[in-house]
Amino acid sequence: MTVTRREMLAATAAALAAPLVAPGAAKAAEAARAAGVAPKFFTAPEFALLDELSDLIIPTDAHSPGARVAGVATYIDFRLSESLDTDQQAKWHSGLAAVDTLSQELHRKAFLQGTPEQRLAVLTKMAAGEKDPKTPAEHFFQQLKGWTVRAYYSSKVGIHADQQYKGNVYQRGEYAGYDAK
Amino acid sequence: MTLVKTPPPLSQEVDLSKTYDAVVVGSGAAGGMAAHVLTEQGMDVLMLEAGKKFDINQIGQELRSMQWPYDHPRRGDAPPGYHSLSFNEYTVRNPPYAKGSTFKHVMSYVGGWGGSDYVKNILVDEKDHPYTGTKYAWVRARLLGGKTNIWGRLALRLSDYDFKAKTHDGYGEDWPIAYADIEPYYDRVDRYLGISGVKENLPHLPDSLFQRPNKLTSAEVKVRESLKKMGRVLTPYRAGVTTDGLKHNKYRSKCYGRGACDRRPGGCDIHAAFDSPTGLIYPSMDTGHLTLRTNSTAHEVLVDKNTGKARGIGFVDTATGKSLEAKAKVVILAASTLESARLMLLSRSPQYPNGIGNSSGHVGHNFCEHVMGPGVTGLVKEMVGKPPTLDDGRPGGFYIPRFRNLKDKQPDFIRGYGFEGGSGFGIFPGSANGTPGFGAQFKKEVRDHAGAFIGLGGFGEVLARYENYVDLDPDEKDHWGIPTLRFHYQFGDNEKKMCQDMVVAGREMLEAAGIDVIGTDDQILTEGWSIHELGTSRMGTDPKTSVLNQFQQSHDVKNLFVVDGSSHVSASCQNPTWTIMALAWRSCEYLAGEFKKGNL
Repeated sequence: MTVTRREMLAATAAALAAPLVAPGAAKAAEAARAAGVAPKFFTAPEFALLDELSDLIIPTDAHSPGARVAGVATYIDFRLSESLDTDQQAKWHSGLAAVDTLSQELHRKAFLQGTPEQRLAVLTKMAAGEKDPKTPAEHFFQQLKGWTVRAYYSSKVGIHADQQYKGNVYQRGEYAGYDAK
Repeated sequence: MTLVKTPPPLSQEVDLSKTYDAVVVGSGAAGGMAAHVLTEQGMDVLMLEAGKKFDINQIGQELRSMQWPYDHPRRGDAPPGYHSLSFNEYTVRNPPYAKGSTFKHVMSYVGGWGGSDYVKNILVDEKDHPYTGTKYAWVRARLLGGKTNIWGRLALRLSDYDFKAKTHDGYGEDWPIAYADIEPYYDRVDRYLGISGVKENLPHLPDSLFQRPNKLTSAEVKVRESLKKMGRVLTPYRAGVTTDGLKHNKYRSKCYGRGACDRRPGGCDIHAAFDSPTGLIYPSMDTGHLTLRTNSTAHEVLVDKNTGKARGIGFVDTATGKSLEAKAKVVILAASTLESARLMLLSRSPQYPNGIGNSSGHVGHNFCEHVMGPGVTGLVKEMVGKPPTLDDGRPGGFYIPRFRNLKDKQPDFIRGYGFEGGSGFGIFPGSANGTPGFGAQFKKEVRDHAGAFIGLGGFGEVLARYENYVDLDPDEKDHWGIPTLRFHYQFGDNEKKMCQDMVVAGREMLEAAGIDVIGTDDQILTEGWSIHELGTSRMGTDPKTSVLNQFQQSHDVKNLFVVDGSSHVSASCQNPTWTIMALAWRSCEYLAGEFKKGNL
């Protein structure tokens, strides 16, 4: 029995934190309401904040829709709603609160009240300590991004629209790939 | 579509008043093979399996091989209350790992491989199955077919570099057989169960009778070509999977390259990958000679006071808690390397005060396996930004056979290791977890690099040492009140040196192929991680230093056989399942012959 090596792969390629501003999305709370689903775990304002944050982490671009369309916040909300891990649940409440606290410090307004540039500035500050988080907001960024990544790349949008994954199909004839000569 | 729709055969009625020709404890690779060979020879066999029975439809519903992550409410995770042990937990604590856990159910680390919901009813609940002693990641599956339901499928032969390893380097013991003795049985296993691969003509990794091979990615072809110049080989994963189909087996489909087996902890709901129920047990039941009793946890080999021979098995019906006896003329243990040793040690009687078959005191000792963890990850630059291709529609990536201490002699360690690896696009871009930043640039970075990585990890031989052993814990008992195993087992200096070399050699091979090494792992995973535990009742010619003869027959009790990995004299570095089955075939053929002659 073996561990799939693929699961151990970790990219260390230098990436840059110069994210583009997400295209003007509808207000998150409105989006949730539009979807007709009330959050199960988060309060409506918390859910709106999470939805916006996730979509800033993985935004819609010319290639594929982002985390909002993929329903990332809805998935996280569902998992937390049935979780038996009260520590983890508490970390989400306090983490989202830390985002607003940071935004208040920087811009004297809650995150969702900020302009796109101000929101980006808050998230950039949260992400600055990604490798070695120290502040509550930096710790929360790790948690937020980890869940967003898992939820997005396991979603229909992530697998098909973004990754354009070709597998999980019946190969009736020759197998894909190259012969070992 | 050739999906398997054949219903499982009806089981014979269990009759515990009857004395069966043979009772087999365990239904995995070894037990299944024993049932196959003995029933084909016309012997009436009772098989006891500790776990439950999933029939062919139930196991399919359990594995759900083609289910998309987003069609599962938790993307493959088990419901709240289930927990899979992490490397950290195995590292910071000693077993029993589930003791005091606040989770309702605790599974071994295998549950953590992207799909705990698919194995939550296959892996044992660690809460019910404690063990003690030194750190050990013991992975167990209790259900019909055992671990073959989710095994890793790498099906390799051993060679005389393994069977005659002592002759080669002076360490340990030679096996009482040579490659020529087992080769015909490897051939039979290949033909009966199906195996896919490419012939390489290597003396240290003999070829099988292969069905069509799986393919390589372009990066793997590049490494293969480069390695040729170094005298090394990268070959497509030799998978215990039927890629062309098996006309003689109505329960198994050929492989359609769905890749399901490598996305999850394993399992194949069309049974193209070998599993014991569809490959061996159902066909055995069709002979009318196999009776199956599940939920039957053996705790003693019963002994005839007058003859000293084994007369059956004492077991607990795990559904009712009742203690029962199964009577048989021959007793065959195939409960796994560690469970068979436990059962022999539990079987204490006036005749056998140290446990049955243990006059040598070697039962539980010379316990060995494979060490793993170290490896390297490379970035294949020319793949960055390439459009996605179908790379994971296969039961495994590639294998790089052992190249150390064949003709050369390493200064720091003896024996060798092989690499398992993979590359290309998968269903989840694993690099996303390690890519820093956020936003459109992050998203593009992940997309561009998704198929550009190649990784390899070593599997090395752990030397068989008398001082690495298991015994019974004097106090701890499992859910059914049966004393548990206690581990006294640690990797030694040879393994640690070998692991250091894995990283060096892995780097060297990727760099020689022009691939940037972007990550190295030098951490050795907890003992047990490879799930290749071996030894504990080794074969040999000397009854003072071995437990079994070359036919896996007890030196002490002639109608007792142990046909699983317990019998292996050394671990080799090749994955053991195919050897377990070839050996069991050979031994059971001998057993049936002796039985007919009245010699047992």
